[in-house]
Amino acid sequence: MATRNRSLLFRKYRDALKSVRIPASSSASSAATKSSGGGPVIEMVSTSLLHPNRSYTPLSTEDPGNSSKGAVTVGLPPAWVDVSEEIAANVQRARTKMAELAKAHAKALMPSFGDGKEDQRIIESLTHEITNLLRKSEKRLQKLSASGPSEDSNVRKNVQRQLATDLQNLSMELRKKQSTYLKRLRQQTEGQDGVDLEMNINGNRSYAENDDLDDMVVESVNELAQIMKDLSVLVIDQGTIVDRIDYNIQNVATTVEEGLKQLQKVLENTETGRHGDVCYSARYNVLCHVGPPNPQGDNLLIRMHVFFVDDFQFDQR
Amino acid sequence: MVLVSAVRDYVYRMLQDISGMKVLILDSQTVSIVSVVYSQSELLQKEVFLVELIDSISKSKESMSHLKAVYFLRPTSENIQYMRRQLSNPRFGEYHLFFSNMLKDTQIHLLADSDEQEVVQQVQEFYADFISVDPYHFTLNMPSNHYYILPAVVDPSNLQHFCDRAVDGIGAVFLALKRRPIIRYSRASDIAKRIAHETAKLMYQQESGLFDFRRMEMSPLLLIVDRRDDPVTPLLNQWTYQAMVHELIGIQDNKVDLRSIGKFPKDQQEVVLSSEQDAFFKANMYENFGDIGMNIKRMVDDFQQVAKSNQNIQTIEDMAKFVDNYPEYRKMHGNVSKHVTLVTEMSKIVEERKLMLVSETEQDLACNGGQVAAFEAVTNLLNNESVSDIDRLRLVMLYALRYEKESPVQLMQLFNKLASRSAKYKPGLVQFLLKQAGADKRTGDLYGNRDFLNIARNMARGLKGVENVYTQHQPLLFQTMESIIKGRLRDVDYPYVGNHFQQGRPQEVVIFIIGGTTYEESRSVAQLNASNSGIRFIIGGTAVLNSKRFLKDLEEAQGIARSNANVV
Repeated sequence: MATRNRSLLFRKYRDALKSVRIPASSSASSAATKSSGGGPVIEMVSTSLLHPNRSYTPLSTEDPGNSSKGAVTVGLPPAWVDVSEEIAANVQRARTKMAELAKAHAKALMPSFGDGKEDQRIIESLTHEITNLLRKSEKRLQKLSASGPSEDSNVRKNVQRQLATDLQNLSMELRKKQSTYLKRLRQQTEGQDGVDLEMNINGNRSYAENDDLDDMVVESVNELAQIMKDLSVLVIDQGTIVDRIDYNIQNVATTVEEGLKQLQKVLENTETGRHGDVCYSARYNVLCHVGPPNPQGDNLLIRMHVFFVDDFQFDQR
Repeated sequence: MVLVSAVRDYVYRMLQDISGMKVLILDSQTVSIVSVVYSQSELLQKEVFLVELIDSISKSKESMSHLKAVYFLRPTSENIQYMRRQLSNPRFGEYHLFFSNMLKDTQIHLLADSDEQEVVQQVQEFYADFISVDPYHFTLNMPSNHYYILPAVVDPSNLQHFCDRAVDGIGAVFLALKRRPIIRYSRASDIAKRIAHETAKLMYQQESGLFDFRRMEMSPLLLIVDRRDDPVTPLLNQWTYQAMVHELIGIQDNKVDLRSIGKFPKDQQEVVLSSEQDAFFKANMYENFGDIGMNIKRMVDDFQQVAKSNQNIQTIEDMAKFVDNYPEYRKMHGNVSKHVTLVTEMSKIVEERKLMLVSETEQDLACNGGQVAAFEAVTNLLNNESVSDIDRLRLVMLYALRYEKESPVQLMQLFNKLASRSAKYKPGLVQFLLKQAGADKRTGDLYGNRDFLNIARNMARGLKGVENVYTQHQPLLFQTMESIIKGRLRDVDYPYVGNHFQQGRPQEVVIFIIGGTTYEESRSVAQLNASNSGIRFIIGGTAVLNSKRFLKDLEEAQGIARSNANVV
């Protein structure tokens, strides 16, 4: 597509007009204004962490409120940006660790001598680290919430939504990596059983291992469900009206505020303790009888039912 | 596709090279231009954390110097004034100015004069000056569309604005396509001739450097036509999905506002209908109502299956699968609800207004012969209590357009009956329409009865029997496009501007309808494009019409014409 750059002409006019103006102003204000571009330049590292591929934006140390002819004056951001930077940094760290985790998964799946316990340990610790990073970020995300329809609060809310999307995507990616790994691992373990002659010993061991694997699955699914529920009010559903720019120009203030109230409630519930006292459906009973006791799984089921129950209501037309 | 991706590319390029947190400032026109091709989540990914309109951002005094401002505006004098004020008291760290069309030197001068703080980093022209609602369909969304109906003497300055906006929009389309067309226009329409000549002047004289693109073998064709050549299409009721939603409810910038027709839960009050983002809509937007019903039922059944299996969670693996697939499921749920709601509401309206009955007669009036039967049918419907005022008006108009020359007595009877039955009817509107768009004023063969070949074609269609009586009608545009494909668009009807004559068929054709396009016409375009004729068609207009909008334009024009006559 064609474009036309008018900056050159613009600058020409601007300079011409400046030279017409300066004789009048320089005598009056030469004492007051400092020389432009004279101050040292601080590199503002934090603005770039949101997108690490960007180059740094140098800042002038002059007060951006004053006139600053010729110097680029992106001012110091407000305090809450530190929080968003922190979260963004955590997200980035989580991404790096995910890459390491992928390598660890691959290594653990390769045939090797030794019992593979070291590999397992690494995997477990990485997984826990990532999960902690994500959970910590999610909690910090709440700090970005702001009330009142000011422009700054709109910016905060949008930053929050963007980070929420990143967090949710990372959580899902973690879950996917883990499920692929566990599936392959299970295939390997079962494969070994068929071939190995010391059936009994290995049989018992593999049963216990399978249990461990189940626990891991339950735990990771649990985590993901929790994160998804918490973030669902913030993450934008693509293709819907909420994802329209024109809709957002009018509506950011109200919708996100509602969502944040919900988020608050959820976090409170999680922190005060598990809710295991109410049985929500017959499915819970069925599950108790069908499989071996699995308290984590039952808890997950209840939570999921509560989480998703609204979506099961579908009007029959 | 090409127009949508051109605008997307423009937006992408505006944001790509500016690092850090940004605020995007738009005006009331550019917000539509951007919103139909770019989503909020895509903006967030580009670190645009605030989007505002230029008039509301002027009101705030909050300093936000940590944000870089990206302005995307139409180069109107009003916007330049806003910019001047904002530049003299800059709130943001950097200013990057993008305009959707050509700036005059004086405007650049004014901006430079206000930029004492030298916060402006760049000033660019990015020619996204049109709203690309569908791959081959754009609109200029002009608020005062009715000026095309009035003769030039009535309101010359507003008419000039109207023409300027049209020329700017058409120019931008070709700059986005990087082509310079040969130009033809509808013989009988003064305004088409005017816009055609002004566009030619822009492209070949005033800014000939800017439009001087690498020439292909064949230049594309720009055909400028007048809505009044085919006043029937916007008056007809529609039965294919996209056109029907616009006719019965209304689509604006690919959004449907359901609040005008009833009470809905918050997340269903406004919905998006975009072929780019909704696969079901893309597959069904041109299907007729009966088929849509079936396809939606199938979609609901599929969804129920998924929902049921989600309820049947027994193993840990089931749980895992559920959680992993939850975002997909949620999206599916939203989409199914949206389409079910739309079709349900439309069914209600069809039932209330007895539209199947009305539409059968409409289609007969538009397509088949038989004045006597037509008169009887229209009279009966006028007498029917359930038929609404707007439908009565449309029927009489369609009858009048078809049979204006035959049996004037019966026509008069219908006018009187209409006036007596419809309290809100503005008397003389039908006559006004005839004066504007009657047989004498139209180019082309609207009813296919002027041209021997067309008569034969009509007879053949009648004999074949029609697949669906409600979708018999084909807009005049379809015939025009077929003529272009066959290389048989007559110069007598559609003369060339200046010495633009070109032998052979063009490969790209842009048809601009002054007064507005309809979704029925964009459907024809899409169908022809899919048929591999060797030509790619694009249509655009000053607005996207439904019968309500078309009638409103007529009424406004009539009002102005009346008061003007009184003054004179």
